[in-house]
Amino acid sequence: MFGGLKEKLQAARNRLGSSIQGVVTAQAPPVPASIQAEPVASAAAQNTSSPEAPTFVDKLKVLIIERELIVSEKDVAEALAELEMTLLESDVALPVCDAIIAHVKKSLVGKHRKIGESVDALVVGALKSALLDVLGKGFDLAEFVKSHERPVRILFTGVNGTGKTTTVAKIGVYLKNQGYTVVIGAGDTYRAGAIEQIGVHAERIGIKIIQHQEGADPSAVLFDTVQYAVSHKIDVVLADTAGRFHTKSNLMNQLEKIRRVMKPDLIVYVDEAVAGNDAVVRSAEFDRTVGADAVVLTKADMDSRGGAAISIAHTIGKPLMFLGTGQGYEDIIPFDPAQVVEDLLGSEP
Amino acid sequence: MDQRELMTLQHYLKEYGQQAEIFVSQLELLENGRMEALAAIEALEGMLVSEDGNVLLQIGGGASVRAKVTEPEKIFLSIGAEVVVERSNKEAVEFLKERIMEMEASQKKVSETLDRLRSQMNEINKRLESGYQQSMAAGQDED
Repeated sequence: MFGGLKEKLQAARNRLGSSIQGVVTAQAPPVPASIQAEPVASAAAQNTSSPEAPTFVDKLKVLIIERELIVSEKDVAEALAELEMTLLESDVALPVCDAIIAHVKKSLVGKHRKIGESVDALVVGALKSALLDVLGKGFDLAEFVKSHERPVRILFTGVNGTGKTTTVAKIGVYLKNQGYTVVIGAGDTYRAGAIEQIGVHAERIGIKIIQHQEGADPSAVLFDTVQYAVSHKIDVVLADTAGRFHTKSNLMNQLEKIRRVMKPDLIVYVDEAVAGNDAVVRSAEFDRTVGADAVVLTKADMDSRGGAAISIAHTIGKPLMFLGTGQGYEDIIPFDPAQVVEDLLGSEP
Repeated sequence: MDQRELMTLQHYLKEYGQQAEIFVSQLELLENGRMEALAAIEALEGMLVSEDGNVLLQIGGGASVRAKVTEPEKIFLSIGAEVVVERSNKEAVEFLKERIMEMEASQKKVSETLDRLRSQMNEINKRLESGYQQSMAAGQDED
C-alpha cells in the first residue's frame, strides 16, 4: 500500500537531510567572522519581530554561545521544491501539498538544534508532523456507535463502481466483530443485480437484510430498514445506495430525499484510492451537495501513490474512516494516521 | 446439493464475474495509459531529431495538421493532482518512463488479483457442474 509514495518520501527525506547537513558543516566552529561582527543595534531592532522567527540575537546566541544550528529558508528551498514535486507526482492535491510544505518549512527553518543530534531525526520529525497535520485524526466508528442512540443510522454514498456495496458488507463484518448487531438496507434499487449482490453478501456474513423489488423507492426501503432496527433493537443500520455521479441532479435529489426520510447519524462517502485526485474532487462535490461526515477509500492495496488518502481529510475537512485493502470481508482497516505516517517514514531509508 | 445451494453458487459466480469485469476495465485503462506514454516518449524524442521541427498534430476526430514546434526543449507536463509544470524534453521522457514502470507494476497487481478471481470462478463452476449432474441424476432416478 502506497509503496511509490513511501519510496519518494524516503528520497525527499534524504535530500532534505543532506541539505541541512551541508548547513551543519558550514556552521561548525570556528564561527564565521561576519556573524560576530554584526552590530548589536540591529539585534535590538529585530527583537520586536514575530516570536517564532529567530531574531538576530537568537542566531547569535545559538551560534556562539550554545552552538546550535540555524537553517535558513534558502538552505532548504531546493529540497522543499523537490518535495513539492514529489507530492504532486503522487497526486497529492495542491492545497494539501502547500500545507505540507509550509509545515515542513516552519519546522525546519530557524530550528535550533544542538549539534550532535541526528539531522535525519529532525527531518523525519518535521515530515511526520506535517503529514499528521493534514491527515487529521481519523474516525473511530466503534466509538461513534457506542456513544450514539440506537439504532445508529449510517448512509453510504458515492459514485458507481467504487466498491460501495462490498464496503457496506465489510463494515457490517467489522461492527459484528465489535459485538454490535447490524441490519443492512438494500437501497440500491436502481442497478440491475444490486439487490441480489448485497443479498448474497448479507447471507454470507450472517447479517439481516431488508430489500424491496428492483426499481422500488430507495427511501421506502431504508425507512423500512430503520423501522426493523427499532422494533428488533438492532444497534446499527447500514444503508446501501445506488452509485451516482454528482453531476446527475435527479439522482442527487433522490439522495437528498433518502437523507430526509432516514435521517442518518453518519453519511459515509465511498470512493477508490486509485482514483487519486479525482476521488478528492468528487468527495468535495458530494460533501457540498448531500454532505459527508466520513470517507472510506477502497482498493488502497492497489494504490501506489497514496495521493487521495493523504489529501482527502484536509481538502473536505472530514476524516478518513477506513481503507479497503482486498477482496475478503476482513480486508478493511480503520484509518490510523499515526500508523500510516509510521509506515511511510518509520523505517530507515 | 439442493436448489438453494445451486442458486447461491450462481450468485457467487455472477458477483465474481462483475468484479472481474471491473478489474479487466482497470487493466484496459492502465494499458491505454501505458501506450499513450510510450507514444509521447517517441514523439518527444522524435521532435529533438527532426530537422525542420515539423510534426503532425492530431486535433481530434482523426484529423491532423502540420505544425512547427518552436520550442521542442520545453515540455508542459501534467504531473498529477491537475498540476502542469514545465520540464526539459529529457526530464519529461524520464518522468514518462517512471510512470510507465508504475503502470506496469499496477498492471501486474491487477492481473494477479484477476487470476485469483478467475481460479475462484473455476472452482465455483466445477462445483456447479457437479451439482447440476447430481440433480439431473436424482431427477432420472425419480423417473
